[in-house]
Amino acid sequence: MAVETLERPPAETTEAPVYEDDARIVRYKIRTGMFAWMAHRLSGIAIVIYLILHVWGLKALTDRDAFNALIAGYHAPIFKIGEFLLLAAVAYHAFNGLRIVLIDFLGWSPKQKRLFWTLAAVTAAIIVIGGYPSIYAVVTYFTGG
Amino acid sequence: MKLNVKVRRYDPESGKPPYWATYEVPAEPMDSALSLLLHIKWHLDGTLTFRKSCAHGICGSDAMQINGENKLACSVLVQDLVKGDGDTISFAPLPGSPVIKDLVIDQTRFFEKYRAVMPWLINDTPPPERERLQSPEEHAIIEDATKCIMCGACTHSCPSTWADPDYLGPAAMLKAYRYTFDSRDAGSAQRLPIVDSKDGLWKCYTIFNCVQACPKEIDITRWLSALKRKAVTAQY
Ligand code: HEM
Ligand code: SF4
Ligand code: FES
Repeated sequence: MAVETLERPPAETTEAPVYEDDARIVRYKIRTGMFAWMAHRLSGIAIVIYLILHVWGLKALTDRDAFNALIAGYHAPIFKIGEFLLLAAVAYHAFNGLRIVLIDFLGWSPKQKRLFWTLAAVTAAIIVIGGYPSIYAVVTYFTGG
Repeated sequence: MKLNVKVRRYDPESGKPPYWATYEVPAEPMDSALSLLLHIKWHLDGTLTFRKSCAHGICGSDAMQINGENKLACSVLVQDLVKGDGDTISFAPLPGSPVIKDLVIDQTRFFEKYRAVMPWLINDTPPPERERLQSPEEHAIIEDATKCIMCGACTHSCPSTWADPDYLGPAAMLKAYRYTFDSRDAGSAQRLPIVDSKDGLWKCYTIFNCVQACPKEIDITRWLSALKRKAVTAQY
Protein backbone atom coordinates (compact mmCIF):
# COMPACT_ATOMS: atom_id res chain seq x y z
CA MET A 1 0.00 0.00 0.00
CA ALA A 2 2.63 2.43 1.08
CA VAL A 3 4.62 1.87 -2.07
CA GLU A 4 2.01 2.81 -4.64
CA THR A 5 1.52 6.28 -3.09
CA LEU A 6 5.14 7.01 -4.02
CA GLU A 7 4.34 7.09 -7.71
CA ARG A 8 4.56 10.74 -8.63
CA PRO A 9 3.34 11.53 -12.15
CA PRO A 10 5.09 14.41 -13.95
CA ALA A 11 3.56 17.84 -13.56
CA GLU A 12 1.75 18.29 -16.88
CA THR A 13 -1.16 15.98 -15.95
CA THR A 14 -3.33 18.71 -14.42
CA GLU A 15 -1.94 21.78 -16.12
CA ALA A 16 -4.39 24.64 -16.61
CA PRO A 17 -3.75 27.43 -19.12
CA VAL A 18 -1.19 30.01 -18.02
CA TYR A 19 -2.13 33.62 -18.60
CA GLU A 20 0.20 36.45 -19.43
CA ASP A 21 -0.18 38.56 -16.32
CA ASP A 22 0.58 35.53 -14.18
CA ALA A 23 4.20 36.75 -13.97
CA ARG A 24 4.53 36.00 -10.27
CA ILE A 25 7.93 37.48 -9.74
CA VAL A 26 6.41 40.87 -10.59
CA ARG A 27 3.36 40.34 -8.43
CA TYR A 28 4.88 38.74 -5.33
CA LYS A 29 6.08 41.04 -2.56
CA ILE A 30 9.87 41.19 -2.48
CA ARG A 31 11.31 40.89 1.04
CA THR A 32 14.91 40.76 2.24
CA GLY A 33 15.47 37.12 1.30
CA MET A 34 14.10 37.29 -2.22
CA PHE A 35 15.94 40.56 -2.87
CA ALA A 36 19.20 39.01 -1.65
CA TRP A 37 18.70 36.01 -3.92
CA MET A 38 17.79 38.02 -7.03
CA ALA A 39 20.77 40.32 -6.54
CA HIS A 40 22.99 37.28 -5.95
CA ARG A 41 21.94 35.63 -9.18
CA LEU A 42 22.23 38.87 -11.18
CA SER A 43 25.68 39.61 -9.76
CA GLY A 44 26.76 35.99 -10.38
CA ILE A 45 25.71 36.18 -14.02
CA ALA A 46 27.31 39.62 -14.38
CA ILE A 47 30.63 38.27 -13.08
CA VAL A 48 30.49 35.33 -15.49
CA ILE A 49 29.91 37.73 -18.40
CA TYR A 50 32.80 39.88 -17.20
CA LEU A 51 35.03 36.82 -16.92
CA ILE A 52 34.31 35.80 -20.52
CA LEU A 53 35.10 39.33 -21.80
CA HIS A 54 38.20 39.45 -19.63
CA VAL A 55 39.64 36.15 -20.88
CA TRP A 56 38.73 37.08 -24.44
CA GLY A 57 40.64 40.37 -23.99
CA LEU A 58 43.71 38.44 -22.86
CA LYS A 59 44.06 37.09 -26.41
CA ALA A 60 45.91 40.34 -27.08
CA LEU A 61 48.72 39.16 -24.78
CA THR A 62 50.32 37.43 -27.77
CA ASP A 63 51.06 40.81 -29.33
CA ARG A 64 52.81 43.61 -27.41
CA ASP A 65 51.39 46.58 -29.28
CA ALA A 66 47.87 45.19 -29.37
CA PHE A 67 48.01 44.58 -25.62
CA ASN A 68 49.25 48.07 -24.84
CA ALA A 69 46.50 49.54 -27.02
CA LEU A 70 43.93 47.45 -25.19
CA ILE A 71 45.18 48.56 -21.77
CA ALA A 72 45.17 52.19 -22.91
CA GLY A 73 41.57 51.74 -24.03
CA TYR A 74 40.65 50.59 -20.53
CA HIS A 75 41.34 54.09 -19.22
CA ALA A 76 38.22 55.39 -20.96
CA PRO A 77 35.48 56.53 -18.54
CA ILE A 78 33.10 53.79 -19.65
CA PHE A 79 35.57 51.20 -18.34
CA LYS A 80 35.99 53.14 -15.09
CA ILE A 81 32.26 52.86 -14.58
CA GLY A 82 32.48 49.17 -15.52
CA GLU A 83 35.29 48.73 -13.01
CA PHE A 84 33.09 50.25 -10.32
CA LEU A 85 30.13 48.02 -11.22
CA LEU A 86 32.40 44.97 -11.24
CA LEU A 87 33.61 45.81 -7.75
CA ALA A 88 30.02 46.28 -6.59
CA ALA A 89 28.94 42.95 -8.11
CA VAL A 90 31.90 41.00 -6.71
CA ALA A 91 31.67 42.60 -3.25
CA TYR A 92 27.94 41.92 -3.01
CA HIS A 93 28.23 38.39 -4.39
CA ALA A 94 31.07 37.48 -2.04
CA PHE A 95 29.40 38.79 1.12
CA ASN A 96 25.96 37.44 0.32
CA GLY A 97 27.67 34.16 -0.60
CA LEU A 98 29.14 34.20 2.91
CA ARG A 99 25.64 34.81 4.27
CA ILE A 100 24.28 31.78 2.41
CA VAL A 101 27.17 29.65 3.66
CA LEU A 102 26.48 30.71 7.27
CA ILE A 103 22.78 29.95 6.85
CA ASP A 104 23.30 26.53 5.28
CA PHE A 105 26.36 25.29 7.15
CA LEU A 106 25.94 26.86 10.60
CA GLY A 107 22.15 27.07 10.72
CA TRP A 108 22.03 30.87 10.99
CA SER A 109 18.62 30.98 9.35
CA PRO A 110 16.94 32.76 12.32
CA LYS A 111 19.44 35.63 11.94
CA GLN A 112 19.19 35.95 8.16
CA LYS A 113 17.70 39.44 8.03
CA ARG A 114 20.15 40.97 10.51
CA LEU A 115 22.93 39.15 8.71
CA PHE A 116 21.80 40.64 5.40
CA TRP A 117 21.80 44.22 6.68
CA THR A 118 25.10 43.81 8.53
CA LEU A 119 26.86 42.38 5.50
CA ALA A 120 25.15 44.93 3.24
CA ALA A 121 26.72 47.69 5.35
CA VAL A 122 30.16 46.07 5.05
CA THR A 123 29.62 45.63 1.31
CA ALA A 124 28.57 49.27 0.89
CA ALA A 125 31.67 50.43 2.79
CA ILE A 126 33.93 48.31 0.57
CA ILE A 127 32.24 49.59 -2.58
CA VAL A 128 32.58 53.23 -1.49
CA ILE A 129 36.19 52.97 -0.35
CA GLY A 130 37.38 50.59 -3.08
CA GLY A 131 35.38 52.28 -5.81
CA TYR A 132 36.56 55.78 -4.96
CA PRO A 133 39.48 55.82 -7.46
CA SER A 134 37.22 54.72 -10.34
CA ILE A 135 34.58 57.32 -9.58
CA TYR A 136 37.23 59.96 -9.00
CA ALA A 137 38.72 59.19 -12.43
CA VAL A 138 35.31 59.48 -14.10
CA VAL A 139 34.52 62.76 -12.34
CA THR A 140 37.88 64.35 -13.22
CA TYR A 141 37.47 63.19 -16.80
CA PHE A 142 34.14 64.96 -17.18
CA THR A 143 35.08 68.04 -15.17
CA GLY A 144 38.12 68.35 -17.42
CA GLY A 145 40.57 68.00 -14.50
CA MET B 1 -14.52 51.29 7.76
CA LYS B 2 -15.13 50.53 4.10
CA LEU B 3 -12.51 48.65 2.13
CA ASN B 4 -11.98 47.99 -1.55
CA VAL B 5 -11.53 44.26 -1.86
CA LYS B 6 -9.92 43.16 -5.10
CA VAL B 7 -10.39 39.52 -5.94
CA ARG B 8 -8.69 37.61 -8.72
CA ARG B 9 -11.58 35.77 -10.35
CA TYR B 10 -11.51 32.96 -12.85
CA ASP B 11 -14.31 30.87 -14.26
CA PRO B 12 -12.98 27.99 -16.40
CA GLU B 13 -16.38 27.51 -18.07
CA SER B 14 -16.48 31.08 -19.38
CA GLY B 15 -13.35 30.47 -21.45
CA LYS B 16 -12.15 33.94 -20.44
CA PRO B 17 -8.85 34.69 -18.75
CA PRO B 18 -8.75 35.59 -15.04
CA TYR B 19 -9.64 39.17 -14.13
CA TRP B 20 -9.69 41.41 -11.07
CA ALA B 21 -13.10 42.18 -9.56
CA THR B 22 -13.47 44.90 -6.93
CA TYR B 23 -16.04 44.89 -4.14
CA GLU B 24 -16.78 47.46 -1.47
CA VAL B 25 -16.85 45.67 1.87
CA PRO B 26 -17.54 47.04 5.37
CA ALA B 27 -14.96 45.86 7.91
CA GLU B 28 -13.70 46.24 11.46
CA PRO B 29 -9.95 46.34 12.22
CA MET B 30 -10.18 43.08 14.16
CA ASP B 31 -11.98 41.19 11.39
CA SER B 32 -10.05 38.42 9.69
CA ALA B 33 -9.28 38.68 5.99
CA LEU B 34 -11.45 35.60 5.52
CA SER B 35 -14.48 37.49 6.82
CA LEU B 36 -14.15 39.92 3.90
CA LEU B 37 -14.48 37.04 1.44
CA LEU B 38 -17.40 35.61 3.41
CA HIS B 39 -19.12 39.00 3.27
CA ILE B 40 -18.76 39.06 -0.52
CA LYS B 41 -20.03 35.51 -0.86
CA TRP B 42 -23.00 35.99 1.46
CA HIS B 43 -24.08 39.51 0.52
CA LEU B 44 -22.60 40.58 -2.82
CA ASP B 45 -21.81 37.66 -5.11
CA GLY B 46 -22.61 34.07 -4.20
CA THR B 47 -20.55 32.70 -7.09
CA LEU B 48 -17.24 33.67 -5.46
CA THR B 49 -15.38 30.45 -4.79
CA PHE B 50 -12.71 29.78 -2.16
CA ARG B 51 -11.76 27.07 0.32
CA LYS B 52 -12.25 27.44 4.07
CA SER B 53 -13.33 25.24 6.88
CA CYS B 54 -12.22 25.84 10.47
CA ALA B 55 -11.66 29.61 10.25
CA HIS B 56 -9.15 29.24 13.09
CA GLY B 57 -5.82 28.36 11.48
CA ILE B 58 -6.18 24.62 12.02
CA CYS B 59 -7.34 22.98 8.80
CA GLY B 60 -5.00 24.81 6.44
CA SER B 61 -7.53 25.18 3.65
CA ASP B 62 -7.58 28.96 3.10
CA ALA B 63 -4.00 29.80 2.18
CA MET B 64 -4.05 32.39 -0.61
CA GLN B 65 -2.13 35.36 -1.92
CA ILE B 66 -3.20 38.41 0.06
CA ASN B 67 -1.68 41.80 -0.80
CA GLY B 68 0.99 40.05 -2.86
CA GLU B 69 2.05 37.56 -0.22
CA ASN B 70 0.86 34.08 0.68
CA LYS B 71 -1.09 34.08 3.93
CA LEU B 72 -3.81 32.15 5.71
CA ALA B 73 -6.95 34.27 5.24
CA CYS B 74 -8.50 33.29 8.57
CA SER B 75 -5.30 34.04 10.51
CA VAL B 76 -4.55 37.56 9.32
CA LEU B 77 -6.42 40.61 10.58
CA VAL B 78 -7.67 43.54 8.54
CA GLN B 79 -5.71 45.96 10.76
CA ASP B 80 -2.48 44.24 9.73
CA LEU B 81 -3.28 44.61 6.04
CA VAL B 82 -4.56 48.19 5.70
CA LYS B 83 -4.13 51.58 7.34
CA GLY B 84 -7.72 52.74 7.18
CA ASP B 85 -10.91 53.60 5.36
CA GLY B 86 -10.94 53.22 1.58
CA ASP B 87 -7.77 51.13 1.45
CA THR B 88 -7.45 48.14 -0.84
CA ILE B 89 -6.85 44.48 -0.03
CA SER B 90 -6.19 42.04 -2.84
CA PHE B 91 -6.88 38.32 -2.90
CA ALA B 92 -5.44 35.94 -5.51
CA PRO B 93 -5.04 32.17 -5.64
CA LEU B 94 -1.76 30.67 -4.46
CA PRO B 95 0.71 31.13 -7.35
CA GLY B 96 2.34 28.14 -8.98
CA SER B 97 -0.50 25.62 -9.21
CA PRO B 98 -3.31 25.39 -11.76
CA VAL B 99 -6.39 27.39 -10.75
CA ILE B 100 -9.65 25.44 -10.69
CA LYS B 101 -11.92 28.41 -10.02
CA ASP B 102 -11.43 31.86 -8.46
CA LEU B 103 -9.24 31.32 -5.38
CA VAL B 104 -9.29 27.52 -5.50
CA ILE B 105 -6.14 25.83 -6.77
CA ASP B 106 -5.59 22.24 -7.82
CA GLN B 107 -3.66 20.74 -4.89
CA THR B 108 -3.07 17.36 -6.54
CA ARG B 109 0.55 18.03 -7.24
CA PHE B 110 1.16 19.52 -3.80
CA PHE B 111 -0.07 16.37 -2.10
CA GLU B 112 1.76 14.09 -4.53
CA LYS B 113 4.95 15.74 -3.37
CA TYR B 114 3.86 15.31 0.24
CA ARG B 115 3.33 11.58 -0.21
CA ALA B 116 6.59 11.27 -2.13
CA VAL B 117 8.68 11.97 1.00
CA MET B 118 6.99 9.14 2.94
CA PRO B 119 5.45 11.31 5.66
CA TRP B 120 4.94 8.51 8.16
CA LEU B 121 6.98 6.76 10.83
CA ILE B 122 9.27 4.11 9.38
CA ASN B 123 10.36 1.63 12.04
CA ASP B 124 10.33 -2.13 11.62
CA THR B 125 11.29 -3.03 15.18
CA PRO B 126 8.43 -4.65 17.11
CA PRO B 127 6.35 -1.98 18.84
CA PRO B 128 6.68 -1.84 22.61
CA GLU B 129 3.70 -2.73 24.78
CA ARG B 130 2.62 0.90 24.99
CA GLU B 131 3.87 3.74 22.77
CA ARG B 132 7.36 4.36 21.38
CA LEU B 133 8.73 6.86 23.86
CA GLN B 134 10.44 10.12 23.01
CA SER B 135 12.14 12.41 25.53
CA PRO B 136 11.25 16.12 25.65
CA GLU B 137 14.77 16.88 24.39
CA GLU B 138 14.31 14.58 21.41
CA HIS B 139 10.93 16.12 20.70
CA ALA B 140 12.36 19.64 20.86
CA ILE B 141 14.39 18.90 17.71
CA ILE B 142 11.26 18.40 15.61
CA GLU B 143 8.70 20.43 17.55
CA ASP B 144 8.77 23.50 15.27
CA ALA B 145 8.31 21.28 12.20
CA THR B 146 5.39 19.35 13.73
CA LYS B 147 3.31 22.55 13.76
CA CYS B 148 2.79 22.41 9.99
CA ILE B 149 -0.86 22.30 8.88
CA MET B 150 -0.13 21.62 5.17
CA CYS B 151 -1.71 24.85 3.98
CA GLY B 152 0.72 25.18 1.06
CA ALA B 153 1.49 28.87 1.61
CA CYS B 154 5.21 28.10 1.70
CA THR B 155 5.54 25.83 -1.33
CA HIS B 156 3.51 28.26 -3.44
CA SER B 157 5.64 31.22 -2.37
CA CYS B 158 8.87 29.62 -3.56
CA PRO B 159 10.45 30.81 -6.84
CA SER B 160 11.99 27.36 -7.26
CA THR B 161 8.49 25.84 -7.23
CA TRP B 162 7.25 28.43 -9.72
CA ALA B 163 10.14 27.62 -12.06
CA ASP B 164 10.03 23.84 -11.64
CA PRO B 165 6.63 22.26 -10.92
CA ASP B 166 8.35 19.01 -9.95
CA TYR B 167 10.48 20.61 -7.22
CA LEU B 168 9.38 18.99 -3.95
CA GLY B 169 9.14 22.36 -2.25
CA PRO B 170 9.36 23.47 1.39
CA ALA B 171 6.20 21.81 2.78
CA ALA B 172 7.10 18.30 1.59
CA MET B 173 10.74 18.61 2.58
CA LEU B 174 9.82 20.00 5.99
CA LYS B 175 7.87 16.76 6.49
CA ALA B 176 10.95 14.83 5.42
CA TYR B 177 12.87 16.71 8.13
CA ARG B 178 10.15 16.09 10.69
CA TYR B 179 10.36 12.29 10.25
CA THR B 180 14.07 11.96 9.50
CA PHE B 181 14.95 13.81 12.72
CA ASP B 182 12.31 11.98 14.78
CA SER B 183 14.19 9.84 17.35
CA ARG B 184 11.69 6.99 16.75
CA ASP B 185 12.14 6.90 12.99
CA ALA B 186 14.54 4.55 11.19
CA GLY B 187 13.71 5.46 7.60
CA SER B 188 16.44 7.91 6.63
CA ALA B 189 18.04 5.42 4.23
CA GLN B 190 14.79 5.42 2.26
CA ARG B 191 13.80 9.04 2.72
CA LEU B 192 17.11 10.84 2.21
CA PRO B 193 17.62 9.76 -1.43
CA ILE B 194 14.20 11.28 -2.24
CA VAL B 195 15.09 14.74 -0.93
CA ASP B 196 18.75 14.44 -1.98
CA SER B 197 17.76 14.48 -5.64
CA LYS B 198 17.46 16.84 -8.57
CA ASP B 199 13.91 17.77 -7.51
CA GLY B 200 14.91 18.14 -3.89
CA LEU B 201 17.02 20.06 -1.39
CA TRP B 202 19.56 21.52 -3.80
CA LYS B 203 16.97 23.72 -5.47
CA CYS B 204 16.50 25.56 -2.19
CA TYR B 205 18.44 28.82 -2.65
CA THR B 206 17.62 30.13 0.86
CA ILE B 207 15.24 32.74 -0.53
CA PHE B 208 13.13 32.74 2.69
CA ASN B 209 9.79 33.38 0.97
CA CYS B 210 8.53 30.18 2.65
CA VAL B 211 9.49 31.34 6.14
CA GLN B 212 7.89 34.72 5.49
CA ALA B 213 4.69 33.04 4.30
CA CYS B 214 4.24 30.32 6.92
CA PRO B 215 1.24 31.13 9.15
CA LYS B 216 2.72 28.92 11.88
CA GLU B 217 5.98 30.88 11.80
CA ILE B 218 8.03 27.76 11.21
CA ASP B 219 11.67 28.47 10.37
CA ILE B 220 11.48 26.15 7.36
CA THR B 221 14.83 27.18 5.89
CA ARG B 222 16.56 26.29 9.14
CA TRP B 223 15.24 22.74 9.05
CA LEU B 224 15.88 22.30 5.33
CA SER B 225 19.48 23.38 5.96
CA ALA B 226 19.74 20.72 8.67
CA LEU B 227 18.36 18.19 6.20
CA LYS B 228 20.91 19.33 3.59
CA ARG B 229 23.73 18.76 6.08
CA LYS B 230 22.33 15.35 6.95
CA ALA B 231 22.00 14.39 3.27
CA VAL B 232 25.63 15.36 2.67
CA THR B 233 27.14 13.81 5.80
CA ALA B 234 25.14 10.58 5.39
CA GLN B 235 27.21 9.83 2.30
CA TYR B 236 30.62 10.08 3.96
C1 HEM C 1 34.13 35.18 -2.93
C2 HEM C 1 33.77 34.46 -3.93
C3 HEM C 1 32.40 33.83 -4.11
C4 HEM C 1 31.53 33.36 -3.16
C5 HEM C 1 31.68 33.36 -1.65
C6 HEM C 1 30.37 32.84 -3.89
C7 HEM C 1 29.29 32.24 -3.29
C8 HEM C 1 28.23 31.71 -3.96
C9 HEM C 1 27.18 30.92 -3.38
C10 HEM C 1 27.10 30.52 -1.91
C11 HEM C 1 26.31 30.61 -4.35
C12 HEM C 1 25.05 29.76 -4.20
C13 HEM C 1 23.84 30.65 -4.18
C14 HEM C 1 22.61 29.98 -3.70
O1 HEM C 1 22.62 28.82 -3.28
O2 HEM C 1 21.58 30.66 -3.71
C15 HEM C 1 26.78 31.20 -5.57
C16 HEM C 1 26.13 31.14 -6.80
C17 HEM C 1 26.66 31.62 -7.99
N1 HEM C 1 27.88 32.20 -8.18
FE1 HEM C 1 29.18 32.66 -6.71
N2 HEM C 1 30.56 33.02 -5.23
C18 HEM C 1 31.78 33.61 -5.41
C19 HEM C 1 32.36 33.95 -6.61
C20 HEM C 1 31.76 33.84 -7.85
C21 HEM C 1 32.39 34.16 -9.12
C22 HEM C 1 33.81 34.66 -9.28
C23 HEM C 1 31.45 33.93 -10.08
C24 HEM C 1 31.53 34.10 -11.58
C25 HEM C 1 32.59 33.89 -12.30
C26 HEM C 1 30.26 33.46 -9.44
C27 HEM C 1 29.10 33.12 -10.10
C28 HEM C 1 28.01 32.54 -9.51
C29 HEM C 1 26.80 32.17 -10.21
C30 HEM C 1 26.51 32.37 -11.69
C31 HEM C 1 25.95 31.59 -9.26
C32 HEM C 1 24.55 31.03 -9.50
C33 HEM C 1 23.55 31.99 -8.99
C34 HEM C 1 22.29 31.34 -8.53
O3 HEM C 1 22.18 30.12 -8.53
O4 HEM C 1 21.40 32.08 -8.13
N3 HEM C 1 30.48 33.40 -8.09
N4 HEM C 1 27.97 31.88 -5.31
S1 SF4 D 1 5.28 24.86 6.65
FE1 SF4 D 1 3.87 26.55 7.20
S2 SF4 D 1 3.36 27.47 5.18
FE2 SF4 D 1 4.22 25.44 4.74
S3 SF4 D 1 2.43 24.07 4.57
FE3 SF4 D 1 3.18 23.97 6.73
S4 SF4 D 1 1.98 25.52 7.85
FE4 SF4 D 1 1.72 25.96 5.64
S1 FES E 1 -10.12 28.04 7.45
FE1 FES E 1 -8.99 26.44 8.43
S2 FES E 1 -6.96 27.28 8.42
FE2 FES E 1 -8.13 28.95 7.71
